[in-house]
Amino acid sequence: MSTVIEQHPNLYKIVIAHYLIAAFTFLALVPMLLFSVKDFGGHYFQPHLLAITHTAALGWASVIIFGACYQLLPVILETYLYSYKLAWFGLVVFCLGLLDFVYSFWVFEPGLHMQCGSVLLLTGITSFTANIFITSKKIKKPDIYQDFILTACIWLLVTAVLGVLMVFNFRFAFLPKDHLLFLKLHAHAGLGGWFLLLIIGVSAKLLPMFLVSEKTNVNLLKWSYYLINSALLLFFINTYIFGLNTFTFIIAVTAIVGVICWLTYVYQCFASRIRAKIDVAMAHTILSIFLLAIAIFVLPFIIFYQLKADALAVRLTTLYGSLLLLGWISSLILGQTFKTLPFIVWTKRSQHLLGSKTTLPANLFDNKILKGQFLSFLLFTVSFSIGLALKIKPLIYLGVVCFSVTAVLYISNVFIILFRTEENEPA
Amino acid sequence: MNLPDIDDENFKLLTQITEVLATVIDPELQVNILDLGMVYNVAVKKETKTIEVEMTLSTRHCPMGSAIVNSVENAILQNFTTYSPVVNLVWEPAWNVNSITPEGKKQLGV
Repeated sequence: MSTVIEQHPNLYKIVIAHYLIAAFTFLALVPMLLFSVKDFGGHYFQPHLLAITHTAALGWASVIIFGACYQLLPVILETYLYSYKLAWFGLVVFCLGLLDFVYSFWVFEPGLHMQCGSVLLLTGITSFTANIFITSKKIKKPDIYQDFILTACIWLLVTAVLGVLMVFNFRFAFLPKDHLLFLKLHAHAGLGGWFLLLIIGVSAKLLPMFLVSEKTNVNLLKWSYYLINSALLLFFINTYIFGLNTFTFIIAVTAIVGVICWLTYVYQCFASRIRAKIDVAMAHTILSIFLLAIAIFVLPFIIFYQLKADALAVRLTTLYGSLLLLGWISSLILGQTFKTLPFIVWTKRSQHLLGSKTTLPANLFDNKILKGQFLSFLLFTVSFSIGLALKIKPLIYLGVVCFSVTAVLYISNVFIILFRTEENEPA
Repeated sequence: MNLPDIDDENFKLLTQITEVLATVIDPELQVNILDLGMVYNVAVKKETKTIEVEMTLSTRHCPMGSAIVNSVENAILQNFTTYSPVVNLVWEPAWNVNSITPEGKKQLGV
């Protein structure tokens, strides 16, 4: 016999705060993208693109992941979060730091503001990881899902520390190697270490639950974990000592095989699912995986052209970054928000009514708006990616317009979930 | 779960409880917990005035676990006011897709 863990009374506010901040940040990306269309034709190490990248990676993707982790980890770890005060403290300093940081990137003032912003961001990230690690100390039987999540947190800290070092390097130039070399390490620790490992860990746990899958192959996840982490470590050592070279291809292949192991796991979950119907939120997830696959396909070409010192490597890198951040991660969040947020709100407001006539979580949002969001996002990814790859400015503009529609529809639906009252709930 | 035995002295009450439990649905899958095969046994204890439900969840860490258990308790409290609900979660035998009834599979679109 056993009992289930009840939702902690302090959890709701902290999780919703994260979702709201992330939604507003996603909307804030619209004007930033509109004012930066011309910059997409140049080098990626450019003030506006750096500001956009950090807004998307930190304010949008990381904030919502922090919130989702606070909600999901107590369920996965069967224990309450270590400290809600620490979670609030982390969120506040993180947001203050983000504002300072993004503003100083946008106007490119690599002085005190950028330094303070980066230190505040690091403080927020340290608070989050400390909270997760102290909570996880209570785990009796660690498993591969928790390994993914905890290792992702370590990579997040590595990313943040490297970021702070680079910010101070703008003023004091103390780093022993080229700034762009550290940028490569910083970006891959963030994308491959933080986002990829965390997404694999959480999705591996949630997908079989949402799909009711008969088959889950944990061995594939173990292979994925060791291959991706080995590739990241080798990439750090090899790139730091020798820069990009032919061995980088082997490292890339190692990482790609790791991702393929995870994708095979995901495929098996889909193939053995009992629940036949794929809803719009899951369609977003499938699109996100497709976008990740395209980004991975681009990766060897970046290394190839970089080794040839061909300028095409720069354009492909911008495409690669946008496919991962605005494509893969954003699509996943745009879909999974409507798998997680309705449940969070419903658990707080309506679960005591279940067993009598009440609305269900899936009815808390407007499915037509979600369909519109999916279509506009699909159009965005197609036009924006082709525009970037072929340097066609009207297509990039069209992509940004579609992105604006997506952002407005997304935030509207988030508001519908959060502010729906009992009176206007569908039966 | 087996249907109530007609020779059982609580047959009528057990049948009513079964009907009530069929109104409790998994919020994510939107199929009732009986057709999902999550309920293993129902017993009426007249001496303690309790209705005991032995059930499981699709996984140990089901995020909807507390919601489903609460809804079972709510459903019993609302329909059998003189009884108290006792929900015992068990993990053996573990739930799997074969536990779903043909009707449940139909509702899931299988």
